[in-house]
Amino acid sequence: MSTPPSAPHSIGEFVRGYEEEGRLRGFRCPSCGLVTATWGLACSRCGRAGLEEAELAKTGRVVAFTVLTVPGDEFLNDAPYAYAVVELDGGGRITGWIPGVGSESELSIGERVQFRPSYKPGVQFERVTSP
Amino acid sequence: MREAWVVGAASNRFGKMAESAREAATRVSLEAIRSAGLEPKDIGHTFVANCFGIAEHQAHVGPLINNGLGIPGVPSVTLESACSSSSAALHEAFVHVAGGFTDAALVVGAERLSHLDTLAATSYFAIAADYAFETKNGATFPGLYATLASAYRAAYRTTPEMFGAIAIKNHANGARNPHAHFQKELTMATYLASPIIASPLRLYDCCPFSDGAAAIVVAAKEFMRSPTSEPLVIRASARAGAVTDMHDRPDLLGLPSSRAAAEAAFRQARLTPSEIDFLEVHDCFTIAEALALEDLGFFPRGTAARESAEGTTARDGRIPVNPSGGLKAKGHPVSATGASQVVEIFEQMNGLARGREVPKAETALAHNVGATGGSCSVHIFTRR
Repeated sequence: MSTPPSAPHSIGEFVRGYEEEGRLRGFRCPSCGLVTATWGLACSRCGRAGLEEAELAKTGRVVAFTVLTVPGDEFLNDAPYAYAVVELDGGGRITGWIPGVGSESELSIGERVQFRPSYKPGVQFERVTSP
Repeated sequence: MREAWVVGAASNRFGKMAESAREAATRVSLEAIRSAGLEPKDIGHTFVANCFGIAEHQAHVGPLINNGLGIPGVPSVTLESACSSSSAALHEAFVHVAGGFTDAALVVGAERLSHLDTLAATSYFAIAADYAFETKNGATFPGLYATLASAYRAAYRTTPEMFGAIAIKNHANGARNPHAHFQKELTMATYLASPIIASPLRLYDCCPFSDGAAAIVVAAKEFMRSPTSEPLVIRASARAGAVTDMHDRPDLLGLPSSRAAAEAAFRQARLTPSEIDFLEVHDCFTIAEALALEDLGFFPRGTAARESAEGTTARDGRIPVNPSGGLKAKGHPVSATGASQVVEIFEQMNGLARGREVPKAETALAHNVGATGGSCSVHIFTRR
């Protein structure tokens, strides 16, 4: 008998987590340990179906980023802003936007950021100012 | 499996089309069929690419193209693989012909987006990313490739001039291609002065939104009839997929699907990169050309942008890349792009690429990426 794929989250629940609950939901693969913030029924690295729910950390560091001056329609009033790939503390990568970054000299690869629940859909980060 | 050949090819001029994608697709299809010395009734299957047909309020365009060609009874299907849609269609044509399911197949890709404004066009392009996990978080298409460019620059300490050299080279080639959207040269000063779209990408790092249509005819060797041109033998037709969201890839210094499709294609063709005379690669942004050349095995990692600045990829360089002008200068009518790469190879191998000939055109490779590499096609062609 094959293992039934479990679907503990829907994409809608991920989005509600960002917007209403201030949570970053994700999955952990019980076989290979991959942590991901992207919805799916099986592991994108090893193929194992039956992922465990995971609560992802709200802090991490910037792996790569861009500062967008020409946005898409849903960010029309937000440009310029940074869009970054973020490696979360404790594992898992996610993308998010960082408002108020006007040029690339204002952010660096490796810089620490934290998740900030936002008034609009999507994942928003802010820079962690050093103490 | 039998040999499948590209026996005919045609493209319109990319840029702004006054006519619909449906009309342009039908027109280039007839031209491609005629260039093969065939008639529409010889076509057994039609494979169509028209990703954003919905922007023209038109889906199910295959039967309309076939109707316009006077072959309403021929089966058709529209394939969607983002920017690699028409090379995906070519792969299906190859499978059908090589597998004996049809003797001649039409592959046609067409796109029209110029009736939309930049904001709407940017938004259409962005839905080919992961809408829930990239686009909603602020990504645009240039933004995603810019993120790759930022990782590349950090890893290899490249300069803007290295990427400028890629754009300048492709514009120099496009200036000599009558199908190209931009038929004008670009200077380094203009490149450097162009505004940042998504750092570090400037306007002139980005391909334009283009309208356009391109068609090719794939036929079994046995089916060739009084050809007016030399056919291309399809030595390899390979496709690959990869983790779609780039944040879930451990490595941002390349596209895994490019590497996988290239390995499969070289294996199929029993060839190595050193045996390829010239390339058409997917340069939706200048960074994409650098990554492609490394992923395909033509340059060691981190060196392709540097090599481009030294002229290695110019038409008279060691390995000419994008003699058509590439997506950068020829333009990027999403669903026509993959087919148009084959049109360029067909013209180069038939001595029709006047004014932009590569020194040797016996063996060529075409590389076409879907979005940020969730899908990729690599085809290898030789002269008969």
